[in-house]
Amino acid sequence: MQNEYMYQLLQKMKEGDQQAFRTMYDATYQDVYRTVSFLVDHQQDREDVMNEIYMQMWTSLANYDTNRPFHFWLNGLVIRQVQRFRVKSWRRFRIFERIRAFSQEEPHWDQPSVLMDGTKQMITQAIQKLTDKQRSVIVLRFFHDYKLEEIATLLEIPLGTVKSRYHAGLQVLRKNLSNLPPERMEEINAN
Amino acid sequence: MPIERKIREYLHKEAETMECPPAISKRIEQSYSQYFQRKRSEINMKKRLISGLVATAILIPTAAFAAPNLIEMLTRTPMTVEQVKVDEVGKATLEKLYNAFPETKSFEIINASKVQGVQTSIILQEKGGIGKKISLHTNGITGALEHVNQENWEPKEKPLTALTDQEIRSKVDYLIDKMFGNIEEYEFAMEQMENPNQKTFMLNYTKKGSKTPFYQVFVQDNTISVSLIGGETTPLNNKVEGFFSTNGKPDYTADSFLNDEKLFSLLKISPTELKQELAKGKSVVEIAASKNVSKQQVIDVIANTQAEGQIQGENNNDVPKSNRSSEQMLKAVEPKVVQVIEHKTETPW
Repeated sequence: MQNEYMYQLLQKMKEGDQQAFRTMYDATYQDVYRTVSFLVDHQQDREDVMNEIYMQMWTSLANYDTNRPFHFWLNGLVIRQVQRFRVKSWRRFRIFERIRAFSQEEPHWDQPSVLMDGTKQMITQAIQKLTDKQRSVIVLRFFHDYKLEEIATLLEIPLGTVKSRYHAGLQVLRKNLSNLPPERMEEINAN
Repeated sequence: MPIERKIREYLHKEAETMECPPAISKRIEQSYSQYFQRKRSEINMKKRLISGLVATAILIPTAAFAAPNLIEMLTRTPMTVEQVKVDEVGKATLEKLYNAFPETKSFEIINASKVQGVQTSIILQEKGGIGKKISLHTNGITGALEHVNQENWEPKEKPLTALTDQEIRSKVDYLIDKMFGNIEEYEFAMEQMENPNQKTFMLNYTKKGSKTPFYQVFVQDNTISVSLIGGETTPLNNKVEGFFSTNGKPDYTADSFLNDEKLFSLLKISPTELKQELAKGKSVVEIAASKNVSKQQVIDVIANTQAEGQIQGENNNDVPKSNRSSEQMLKAVEPKVVQVIEHKTETPW
């Protein structure tokens, strides 16, 4: 995807060009949705965050540096909206409520847990055990394959902080995955 | 296998299974188009109501805070006294005022600002005396006066609202007559507004047969504020026909391209002036060059408007859908635009 082209699309979209918006949306929504899904657990919340992201596109347009890859900028936008979403205090209140309501339930991602095989479920649960901050770093590192330096820029935090969150995150994952039974380990290796 | 690889594989695999529910896409698209519909109508309203807003701001105490923000959104830039005197619109406005009320020549310009291509505002105040104040808001393109505010012209002890209806009317008549033009032709209506905090009158001057007033005047406290409403709500008055001529006859070929408000504001020119310039045998490109506007800017502005018109037409099903993207439309229309803006009057197409 060419940066210049995407930038032009954004400009048009800002002026209210429905066509440009659609092109833009079609080109990006799957990726954005997946990132959001990894970072936000509940379906309704994902929807809200997605909506926010696309509505915020033009306010951030001024910050878009055409020399940088388009996706880098886009992911910055995604991350900021996810963070903003978490900061909203009324949502916190809702989260508390939910924790109470759903405490018996297994956390679910997209697939109902019955359909997931055991190994996947283990990893899903392990990732769910990460704090939000650790999870952002892990998702950016392994899903988007960003370098730690780039993650620092995206999250607007010092590199040292990224490193510590990254290692702490891996630690948690390791701990939670180490009790996989050996045959499961092989299963993963075979994948 | 290192855990890093496991996680990476897992995330990518998991991502494959995630499909964005169509409901989300629908919702986002809806909020986008709603946002822009709202925004678009706001812009139109803003232009139309800008003078009205100033009036309301004075009349309704609670609106006084809201109105400046809306005007500020159009990026009003302040002007110095010198700038006003060299600014075409500013100079013409001042001259009009000095002719109408010679005593204002001694007034001091206390504030001036403009919104490029929309409005120029000048506020003058008497030095000493009873502090007579007058604000003039002029259309940035046509140079027509849109709004006049006359403050403190009556002694404090006997403000405007203490006068009889007849006296108020004669004061207002006089102001409109001096600043805008003859009002004998208009039907007149006056009523007191329901504003318990302050006595307020609304005076409407309506052209015979027309439903909306041509001038609307609010009188409150010691202030008369006149808004020109007619002429603004009929943007067709802005249009000029037959920009070029062929064999001495008006040639309407280019009208649909050149009657473009964005073009007028880009060139800082009124449609009538543009026609006059073209009649001198200049092309649009040459006129633009004399105003330091590049050919590409002109093309972009016109092509955009044309493409928008096309898309709108297609959306309203006025014209068959071409299913072209707006980029393709821009490309398609560009050569035509170039032809129009390089055309000179009395030459074959």
